[in-house]
Amino acid sequence: MPALIEALDLTKKYGAHVALDRANFSVEAGRIVGLIGPNGAGKTTALRAILGLTAYEGQLKVLGHEPFRERTALMHDACFIADVAVLPGWLRVDHAIDFVAGVHPRFRRDRALALLAKADITGERRMRELSKGMKTQVHLALTMAIDAKLLVLDEPTLGLDILARRAFYDALVNDYMDETRTILITTHQVEEVENLLTDVLFIDKGRIVLDSSLEDIATRYAAVAVAADNLDAARAEKPFHERPMLGKVVLYYEQPNLTKLASLGEVHALNVADLFVAKLSGGAE
Amino acid sequence: MNTVIWLVRREFWENRAIWMIPAVIGGLMVLIALFGRVDLMSISPQMPVQAVGGGFLLAVGATFFAVMSIYSTWYLLDCLYADRKDRSVLFWKSMPISDTTTVLSKLATALIVIPAVYFAGADLTTLIMAFIVSVRWSASIDGALWHANLWLQLQTLWLYMIATTALWYLPIAAYLLVVSAWAKRAVMLWSLLPPLTLVLAERWFFDSHVIADVLGKRLLGYPAQAFRDDPGSSSWVTTVVHNDTITTPISIWGFFNVGGFFSSAETWIGIAVGAALIVCAIQLRTRRTEI
Repeated sequence: MPALIEALDLTKKYGAHVALDRANFSVEAGRIVGLIGPNGAGKTTALRAILGLTAYEGQLKVLGHEPFRERTALMHDACFIADVAVLPGWLRVDHAIDFVAGVHPRFRRDRALALLAKADITGERRMRELSKGMKTQVHLALTMAIDAKLLVLDEPTLGLDILARRAFYDALVNDYMDETRTILITTHQVEEVENLLTDVLFIDKGRIVLDSSLEDIATRYAAVAVAADNLDAARAEKPFHERPMLGKVVLYYEQPNLTKLASLGEVHALNVADLFVAKLSGGAE
Repeated sequence: MNTVIWLVRREFWENRAIWMIPAVIGGLMVLIALFGRVDLMSISPQMPVQAVGGGFLLAVGATFFAVMSIYSTWYLLDCLYADRKDRSVLFWKSMPISDTTTVLSKLATALIVIPAVYFAGADLTTLIMAFIVSVRWSASIDGALWHANLWLQLQTLWLYMIATTALWYLPIAAYLLVVSAWAKRAVMLWSLLPPLTLVLAERWFFDSHVIADVLGKRLLGYPAQAFRDDPGSSSWVTTVVHNDTITTPISIWGFFNVGGFFSSAETWIGIAVGAALIVCAIQLRTRRTEI
């Protein structure tokens, strides 16, 4: 089965600024992929290219389509929330449902209504009368009621409080996700999505710096916290990053010699946030 | 086709002024007919009643048409700009609707749907007003407003004008769409600046006014293009009201210049330029997602 998203030397320049610099990555069906990077790394540009909202250089196939030239066809099978709170203020909730039901062949009205009822949002209110959180709920209800193969979310919980954020991710995993779907999500709240992701793509300065499944991260990377007297021995094992912590130094390794490290200090696995910071800040912090 | 209907509905949701403005104009006119004080007895008794009736009905229609022209201009300038400004374009583009369909549905809203709404509004208003006026001044007006032929002429005039203005003003409408799809702010200013600059530059460098002439002809030349200015003296009738004389056509049939309009090179050049500008607007819509 070919990959759902296949990018080869994907490049996007804005004048002299290179937002995407020959990025290569692929996304397989049935995965929940986090596209993670600092501000200005090219996350949004990559998503815009995948969704056909911007022209690009290089090769890009999404669900077998060239996004920019075939956006209309792509949008039958893919849906996205490219930013929070973009539903226009004049739009009524019931009209929004009618409209999507009218133009989208894969929209399931009953599903949208059930999701809205759950969020306690009634029909005839306009978007401008709703709070930011409620507006996001409406957009999510509209999007999650579409039977799409690919769902793309760009910072979907920005501006939501912790309860709404938790409710959103629960709904995403429990009500929406199944083996026929694929989700690509960007966020800078790495901790929040860490346990629902199956894969991560780290992006920095327009390039993909890590493309890995979470299982691979668990087996491939490790960190050890060592006291000062073991520091030189630990450094000899070629860590790619280190940082001081509570009088000790934590060193990060790729494909480490675990028995050796265990003799130097306390070894633990890396979580995505740790790895992200380590990968993107280079040597010592 | 279904998608286009939903897109037009969406325009009505967003732009409630499409039907609210004609509703307000109609309401005001009905109020004037109900409570206005017009001394019809002083109008010259020799005047042909048909001319009064025709003039009256035409004046109502002209008011609607004038307001509609202004509103449509504003609508065209706003329609591809507003959703980029509030970023809702990101929602509309997540639907399986091509940019071509979107742009054409907005053009059709401006050139066909909005005129049809104003046409319906004008018709309803004239019907109600004619009824009120006939009852209030039944003695002097004597059924002048109720001639089937008069009404038929009026309907035909509207439909003829909707069709011919849509074609004649197509390049202007398409140009406004280009500005709307392109500008990052101040759409009104950006719509005026390029033509103004061209006109002034031509005057400055070549001391000529070809561009100004072409633009002027396009903006103001519609009546000359679509109507005959003199179909023969017998078609005109002069009415004396107090000390004024009003000259009105007895019948409009002779005024339609259908053959002249459709055989004119200017009509077809305008359509061709309009089509090219529509392609531009679609391209811009595809590429410019945000401001």
